[in-house]
Amino acid sequence: MNRLYDSMEPRVIDDDMLKLAVGEQSSQEETGELAKQEGILFKDVLSLQLDFRNILHIDNLWQFENLRKLQLDNNVIEKIEGLENLTHLVWLDLSFNNIETIEGLDTLVNLEDLSLFNNRISNIDSLDALVKLQVLSLGNNQIDNMMNIIYLRQFRCLRMLSLSGNPISEVEDYKMFICAYLPDLVYLDFRRIDDHTKEVAEAKHHYSIEELKHRENLMQARLEEEQVRREELERHKTAFVEHLNGSFLFDSMYAEDSEGNKLSSLPGVSELLEAYRDKFVIICVNIFEYGLKQQEKWKTELDTFNECVHEAIQENQEQGKRKIAKFKEKHLMSLSAIREELEMPNIEKMILECSTDISELFDALMMLEMQLVEQLEETISMFERNIVNLVGLFIENVQSLMAQCRDLENHHHEKLLEISISTLEKAVKGDLDEDLSEDVRALFVDKDTIVNAVGASHDIHLLKIDNREDELVTRINSWCTRLVDKIHRDEIMRNRKRVKEISLYIDHMKSELDNLEYSDILD
Amino acid sequence: MEVLREKVEEEEEAEREEAAERAEWARTEKMMRPVEVRKQETTLTQETLGELEKQLSEIQIPVSAELPTFAKDTIDISALPVSYKTNTPKEEQLLQLADNFSRQYSHLCPDRVPLFLHPLNECEVPKFVSTTLRPTLMPYPELYNWDSCAQFVSDFLTMVPLPDPLKPPSHLYSSTTVLKYQKGNCFDFSTLLCSMLIGSGYDAYCVNGYGSQDLCHMDLTRDVCPLTVKPKETIKREEKALPKKYTIRPPRDLCSRFEQEQEMKRQQEIRAQEEKRLKEEEERLMEAEKANPDALHGLRVHCWVLVLSGKREVPENFFIDPFTARSYSTQDEHFLGIESLWNHKNYWINMQDCWNCCKDLIFDLGDPVRWEYMLLGTDKPELSLTEDDSGINDEDDVENLDKEDEDKSFDMPHSWVEQIEISPEAFETRCPNGKKVIQYKRAKLEKWAPYLNRNGLVSRLTTYEDLECTNILEIKEWYQNREDMLELKHINKTTDLKTDYFRPGHSQALRVHSYKSMQPEMDRVIEFYETARVDGLIKREETPRTMTEYYQGRSDFLSYRHADFRPRVKKLTLSSAESNPRPIVKITERFFRNPAKPAEEDVAERVFLVAEERIQLCYHCREDHIIASKREFLRLSEVDSKGNKIIMMPDMCITFEVEPTEHTKKLLYQYETLMHLKKEEKLSRHQVWESELEMLEILKLREEEEEVHTLTISIYDTKRNEKSKEYREAMERVMQEEHLQQVETQLDYLAPFLVQLPPGEKLTRWQAARLKDECLSDFKQRLINKANLIQARFEKETQELQKKQQWYQENQVTLTPEDEDLYLSYCSQAMFRIRILEQRLNRHKELAPLKYLALEEKLHKDPRLGELLKMFT
Repeated sequence: MNRLYDSMEPRVIDDDMLKLAVGEQSSQEETGELAKQEGILFKDVLSLQLDFRNILHIDNLWQFENLRKLQLDNNVIEKIEGLENLTHLVWLDLSFNNIETIEGLDTLVNLEDLSLFNNRISNIDSLDALVKLQVLSLGNNQIDNMMNIIYLRQFRCLRMLSLSGNPISEVEDYKMFICAYLPDLVYLDFRRIDDHTKEVAEAKHHYSIEELKHRENLMQARLEEEQVRREELERHKTAFVEHLNGSFLFDSMYAEDSEGNKLSSLPGVSELLEAYRDKFVIICVNIFEYGLKQQEKWKTELDTFNECVHEAIQENQEQGKRKIAKFKEKHLMSLSAIREELEMPNIEKMILECSTDISELFDALMMLEMQLVEQLEETISMFERNIVNLVGLFIENVQSLMAQCRDLENHHHEKLLEISISTLEKAVKGDLDEDLSEDVRALFVDKDTIVNAVGASHDIHLLKIDNREDELVTRINSWCTRLVDKIHRDEIMRNRKRVKEISLYIDHMKSELDNLEYSDILD
Repeated sequence: MEVLREKVEEEEEAEREEAAERAEWARTEKMMRPVEVRKQETTLTQETLGELEKQLSEIQIPVSAELPTFAKDTIDISALPVSYKTNTPKEEQLLQLADNFSRQYSHLCPDRVPLFLHPLNECEVPKFVSTTLRPTLMPYPELYNWDSCAQFVSDFLTMVPLPDPLKPPSHLYSSTTVLKYQKGNCFDFSTLLCSMLIGSGYDAYCVNGYGSQDLCHMDLTRDVCPLTVKPKETIKREEKALPKKYTIRPPRDLCSRFEQEQEMKRQQEIRAQEEKRLKEEEERLMEAEKANPDALHGLRVHCWVLVLSGKREVPENFFIDPFTARSYSTQDEHFLGIESLWNHKNYWINMQDCWNCCKDLIFDLGDPVRWEYMLLGTDKPELSLTEDDSGINDEDDVENLDKEDEDKSFDMPHSWVEQIEISPEAFETRCPNGKKVIQYKRAKLEKWAPYLNRNGLVSRLTTYEDLECTNILEIKEWYQNREDMLELKHINKTTDLKTDYFRPGHSQALRVHSYKSMQPEMDRVIEFYETARVDGLIKREETPRTMTEYYQGRSDFLSYRHADFRPRVKKLTLSSAESNPRPIVKITERFFRNPAKPAEEDVAERVFLVAEERIQLCYHCREDHIIASKREFLRLSEVDSKGNKIIMMPDMCITFEVEPTEHTKKLLYQYETLMHLKKEEKLSRHQVWESELEMLEILKLREEEEEVHTLTISIYDTKRNEKSKEYREAMERVMQEEHLQQVETQLDYLAPFLVQLPPGEKLTRWQAARLKDECLSDFKQRLINKANLIQARFEKETQELQKKQQWYQENQVTLTPEDEDLYLSYCSQAMFRIRILEQRLNRHKELAPLKYLALEEKLHKDPRLGELLKMFT
């Protein structure tokens, strides 16, 4: 880019530059004077203009939290960076720079207008986060692949696009292609797309678009399915019984159990295993269903609790408001009375009265608050008791079900051992089935080996069951404690806030009264 | 109770006396008549009879002199159809049957009054009462329900008392006559109402019985006017939600239970005393209101309508008093006994005892023990009523009333009365002469027909303080069809407060206007239909010093604006509210919560203290807070001590924020807010000023409307709507002209000749030619005839003239000047006639050939002949 400023030294955005820019922007008569007197906080600035400053590197913009509009055009920026904190940005101008790739825009979810005109961009991507994008200006770049257009299909709000001056705009089908693939577009290259063009374009690319749409729909459907599945799992997780509605646990028991797998090829074992599996799964499903049912219970419990607490707080607030309203009325009357009163001793008396009124109000409000705190405390402890009981009951039941699982496993173990030993006897006698694999045969060397193998398998299974149980119990316990903690914490926060609010108000009233006193004395 | 016991004792005594006689009729003896009557009857001897007679003659029936009478001789019977004047054989048979029935009845129940079976009609012909009922379904949808129907009958007819209050009348006129003269007694009223009710599908009956004095004389002065009775507010019982599991416990009550109880006791005592006092007062009032006892209580004959449940979804039996159109329960104490009842099909006699008025009566007409029916074979309503059957009845009854009558073998003959007809004009006028006055207890109700009063007044209710109706308490006037949509005017005489109620559609969207005087800037409240106003104003209240406005549904969420004024500064120029608005002291504005803004930035109330140059803001309260933020701006001075211009000083703004934030402390923010508020203040002041102007305008408009009080006329009202009437007449004229033209054009000159030919066949060429010739020759003949006719007239005229001239010449000498004048005038007239005839003859001679040719031409062109003739020529 041969520009005038090439001779100047490239710069980085620094504090001085920003202050200057902010100061320049707001110089209008009285407001400007006031602003100068006080100085402007960067976070109050809504728009910032930093054009023609030979900026090479974007930096120091993190303070502009509430910035809506940022102009960085006509600089020598090569990389988009340092914009992560400007999440409220709606309007971003980066035209006439030296940017080569689009990047660093992933946090700007509110962006509606993005200009990257006259840069060196060759590929459109990394815009996925900008769901609200309406205007996109990419003219005078080096985009040469038509497939970039298809990428733009995901922006439902996009109404204006400019791509002139790119290699693709030279392509003969350029306009038709864009009109067909982006049917919601209204302006292309700063011109309105008329309906006729749209129709022609659609007719021309009908088939390919249909295909594309079909593919997109399939994708969408798959995504939705995935979403549903994930939600389901999430729900199960909150009930702490995920993966228990099938043979998942059973399968995981045998996943790492090589001996068990080997032994399953023994005659008679597969039937045994089948029956075992069925019974096991039934118990798992029982646990699962029980868990879901219990979850419903916790939820209704929690809901009623929240509702009641909310009602209580509302009621209390209403009372407080009424008290304050009554006080305000009286206070206003007495204030005006004081103002009109001429005699000093009378004024003093009235002021005294007023201050007693204020402190009375304070007492009343604090009393209300304390009352509420007590009431809530009681309710919360009741809720805590109930929820802990419920959880305890749930754990107990789950444990008993798990014990059933263990019983099954033990039973299975015994049976397996029996078969194994009988097989060993056969092996010793030498009339072992021919079709057993070498690995399995290796187990039937002597009694210790086979017993060890069966024992190891049994241990693995038990371990798995124990692990699952432990996981469930720890998670539910931690959930329970966290819930109770949160309720307590919220209540404390609420109380603090209210007390602060009350004391602030009282302080304000008192100082107002003091001021009055003061001014009276002055008079 | 005591009275009752006494009666019972007397009854027993009487029974003992006449035990022998009465043993036979044990069943029927405890009949019908209310106790008082029986009491007199049972001890009836010669002396008592005479005494009674004397008593009766002494009784002054409080019939006011102006009450109209309905004398027979005023009725014009000439126009009535033949069925009114004679009886059909079937009717004769029925009358015989009725006589027989009556004889049997009087034999069986000698102590009961004779039956009211076949009174004479207006043509002095006895007619059975059931045939006098003529079920008719009226063509007015307003008359489909019993209440409006009864109201119509009571409005439409003027009440005439019975000639003898103790006997049923000797005549029962047809509804035709009653409607024509718009007056009648209770029997006429009931007959008409019953006919209409049966016609619209109700199971209605005329009842001949005994009523209280008030009822018989249509005396409502002891009844509270139904319009003054306020509808009872249904107290909504709030469903108290069950305390939920975690509902907080209420704080402990630290008051002494004992003290509370003591307090309660004390209060109860006070209340009891109060109640007692109230009760006593009430009783005193009641006593004052109570009527002096009626000597003829229980003897006064009355006729009313009974509606039985079942049809038309009537849930319960009830009575309708036709005079007042009120419905009463069958237990009402106004109704003292029933002799008999009838509908258009049958006649029943009550066999139940009426010692306790009508309270114990059971209206199961199918029960022959309780109700003795006259005609066998007609359906007995109650007993035969099964479910499927009733369903069919419901559907059929209205449409097939006449048919049903014919179907049954020995039924009541068809009614001799013509179908009841009420003209739309009469229906609209309702009351005789369109005006009716009803006197209620402490109230007077006047009714007028719509359009009768020039200002649209249709009814007026005057409520009085006292029973004598001297001190007016309040007046309510209802209007209809007013152009300014005024519906109700309510004047409270004690407070002098007038309230006008408007229907939607007033040009200023007025709804209610209450005021004491029409002077501007006085106490008044105006309510508006806020949906009809752009600014969403609901209500504006004015007092001499303030104005308050209430809004709803505005985009700026304004809900309330209150302005305080200072008295107007006297100016030398002629001051009016328009040119010299009152100075505003203070404006208070309140806003609804704007959900788009956070609560601490959403202003709830702002007060512009215009005089003090102060602005107070109060913000909305956040959901989890109890205290709202507020801010107060003071404008101390524009210039500081050194003469520099002050833009903004920290002490110009006093702020209290519930949650202090950084940016609101900035002077810049405060300055901008202040500037904005200043602008708003200006706007608000302007708004107030505009509201004042609007009030003036409304008042002016109201005054104009009151003066003009034009009435609107519906475009469907063809009689009153002049414009539409003219238009319609014009249309009719045009139509008629068009019709005439059509007739003319349709006159076919070939028709007489075509008729001679066989119809439907195509003409041959020869026939066509002949047709043409015939037609032409006929026409020629006509022309010649015409010429001859004119010629003949001409000649006749000439001859006569000559004769006259001759006569004149002969008698010239003897003629008087008058005769001469006569002759001369005759001559000039004859000459004129002759000249005209001559002219016509000449003209005919000229035109005849042309006409002939024209016809020939026309025949050539005629589609029926043209082609054939062309070929021919």
